[in-house]
Amino acid sequence: MEINFTEADIKFRDEVRAFLKDDYPAHVKAKQDSGESLTKEDMIDFHKAVSKKGWMGYNWPVEYGGTGWTSTQIYIFQTEFGLAGCPPLLAFGVSMVGPVIYTFGNDEQKKRFLPDILDFNTWWCQGYSEPGSGSDLASLKTKAVKDGDDYIINGSKTWTTLAQSADWIFCLVRTESGPIKQEGISFILVDMKTPGIEVKPIITIDGEHEVNSVFFTDVRVPAENLIGEEGKGWTYAKFLLAHERFGIAAVGGSKRSLKKLKEVVSELDNPELERKVTELEINLSSLEFTELRLLSALENGAHPGAESSILKIRGTEIQQRLTELFVEASGEYALIYPGPHGHGDNAKPAGPEHASQSLSKYLNMRKTSIYGGSNEIQKNIISKHVLGV
Amino acid sequence: MNLNYSDEQQMLRDQVQKFCESDYTFNKREEILKTDLGYDPELWKLFSELGWLSLPFSEENGGFGYGPIELSVLFEEFGKVLIVEPFLSTVVLSGSILDKCDYDKKAELIENITSGKSHISVAYSEEGSKNDHTYSNTNISGSGSDLTLNGTKTLVLNGANASHLIVSAVMNDELCLAVIDSSADGVSLNSYTTIDNKSCAEITFENVSVDPSLIISKGSDAIKLLDEAINLASLCVSAESIGCMTACYLKTVEYTKGREQFGQPISNFQVLQHKMVDMFIESEVCKSLMFKAMLECNSDSESKMKSVSALKAQIGISGKKVAQDAVQLHGGMGVSDEMSIGHYLKKLIAIDAMFGNSDYHFKKYSKL
Repeated sequence: MEINFTEADIKFRDEVRAFLKDDYPAHVKAKQDSGESLTKEDMIDFHKAVSKKGWMGYNWPVEYGGTGWTSTQIYIFQTEFGLAGCPPLLAFGVSMVGPVIYTFGNDEQKKRFLPDILDFNTWWCQGYSEPGSGSDLASLKTKAVKDGDDYIINGSKTWTTLAQSADWIFCLVRTESGPIKQEGISFILVDMKTPGIEVKPIITIDGEHEVNSVFFTDVRVPAENLIGEEGKGWTYAKFLLAHERFGIAAVGGSKRSLKKLKEVVSELDNPELERKVTELEINLSSLEFTELRLLSALENGAHPGAESSILKIRGTEIQQRLTELFVEASGEYALIYPGPHGHGDNAKPAGPEHASQSLSKYLNMRKTSIYGGSNEIQKNIISKHVLGV
Repeated sequence: MNLNYSDEQQMLRDQVQKFCESDYTFNKREEILKTDLGYDPELWKLFSELGWLSLPFSEENGGFGYGPIELSVLFEEFGKVLIVEPFLSTVVLSGSILDKCDYDKKAELIENITSGKSHISVAYSEEGSKNDHTYSNTNISGSGSDLTLNGTKTLVLNGANASHLIVSAVMNDELCLAVIDSSADGVSLNSYTTIDNKSCAEITFENVSVDPSLIISKGSDAIKLLDEAINLASLCVSAESIGCMTACYLKTVEYTKGREQFGQPISNFQVLQHKMVDMFIESEVCKSLMFKAMLECNSDSESKMKSVSALKAQIGISGKKVAQDAVQLHGGMGVSDEMSIGHYLKKLIAIDAMFGNSDYHFKKYSKL
């Protein structure tokens, strides 16, 4: 056993740090550090900077233009980005639809879509959940009916993150209604500019517009946009869920928040809160080493599966707890609610700087235990696949 | 970075696991506990033959030179079957002090331990010491070769079975460690059993004469030896608690699969499934803290005390939670003394209470 990274890994880490120091766009960094919301342009600037360095395909094999990094390098890359306070890289293109395309798509599709994902020329969003299909995703009803060389799609998707900014959406649609609901689902790519698509904002309790409803009315999509075989979409969706193991724990970002929280709390002379912070710090340390254990097993050739659900559950619990303790540290100033776009033209809010964003962040982070397979669903997965009940 | 056990460490685990599974059934344990000794001398001899009693001693002292990682492996497996043999007191606590001290006649004492011939216990705790092992009302007075020891030590693990005691006492205003023969005049002992079936003693020293050559360490060296021994022992009982937690969730899964109510195994109910998943997650994240602590102890890192405190604080909370849920999910069987599950709860409660409980270690952690 060896707790330290190898010299080569340290050298790699320094390279990542150098990028973050020199090439992390300053205007994005300033907003991230002050807790201000990022615009679409900010997000594009940030992603383009990563693309320019050749790192967008950080978890892709070399043959598709990826970096071909080891699990350890991916871990270091994500952790350093988190520690630097970067926004998380949007997963929809590079971590979700990209791997599905290069694994199950045809050559034409690979040529057409992969380069634009790596260059961040295409902003992807995910069309999975529906009003009647959340945790029971396979019950989805949005229909795609073959009509000549096209499919005609009718139905609606919901909780679609950043659909308002997206160029393309990858959708699970029903191409057949048989007795087994997992069969008859297909995976199809749709241009958001296609007539018949309507995006309606859903405002979340933090006042932000992050998620949307997406309605499909007689949307005509070329059949060449179908990935793999018709009716095999569920298999691809499951593959996609298993693909993104790391990063979900968000250890780097949480470490950064914890450091800030400790600074804030150290000024308060509040032993009860200090104790809560200590407990959280130890929890975070246990999460970090859980991820490292999984990483070591992967590097050793193991194929850990459901154990990564622990990372989702604990990672999101810790992210939420951090925001909860920031609210507690704000005391009565937590009352002040800055609204969706910070304080804008309003007068500077009363109270310390950390307090003004604490409640919005707390409210925003409630989503983490709900999305990506709710934490209850993760427990079902562990129960079935690890405990065998 | 590599958190995989080496082949050698894996072989040790396999060996210990094989012993625990085949030779240490719960019934066997019950039989052992009925004896006066409170442990099985035949098994202790076997431990010696298998080399386990030599494990942590450095090679120059006739040991294998193994460290915190191997001890954690051993204790994790011990925890799964609730081993009652006095490994912690004799090999870890006394062994750690003897291995590192400068005492010139230590070879014989170490040989006595590794051969399984006798037990040695460390007597450092006193009423009122509150986990501060520099606190001592016990003292050595006199001068030259005419030294006498007076005082009372409490919670001496395996004290009744120890041929020798390593006693902490104040002499000339500094803490020192002295090796005392348990059968010496003036040593009296009140032995009792702990909640987790360990033998434990309160020992009084009344004008016990001390051979100056048996004062094995003084001042800051003595404190450091105690610090190191207690830190290592804290790591070991934490590893043991992780073994207990693992056994708790595995036994609970097995029990709920076999127990039928409402016409089906109760493991079908989601409320129980999620509780068992929580038990599994608790033990896994504790194990992660153990990896951090044992690796830092192994490399003698500056932050090793801090990472052991993090571990000890967490296993105190998690252990109790896991074992309480295990008892709950076993229903009435969970509170029956003849079932093993309640004994895991007792073990985990005992481990929290030893070497400073969760509250103590949270405070210590935040100060380090």
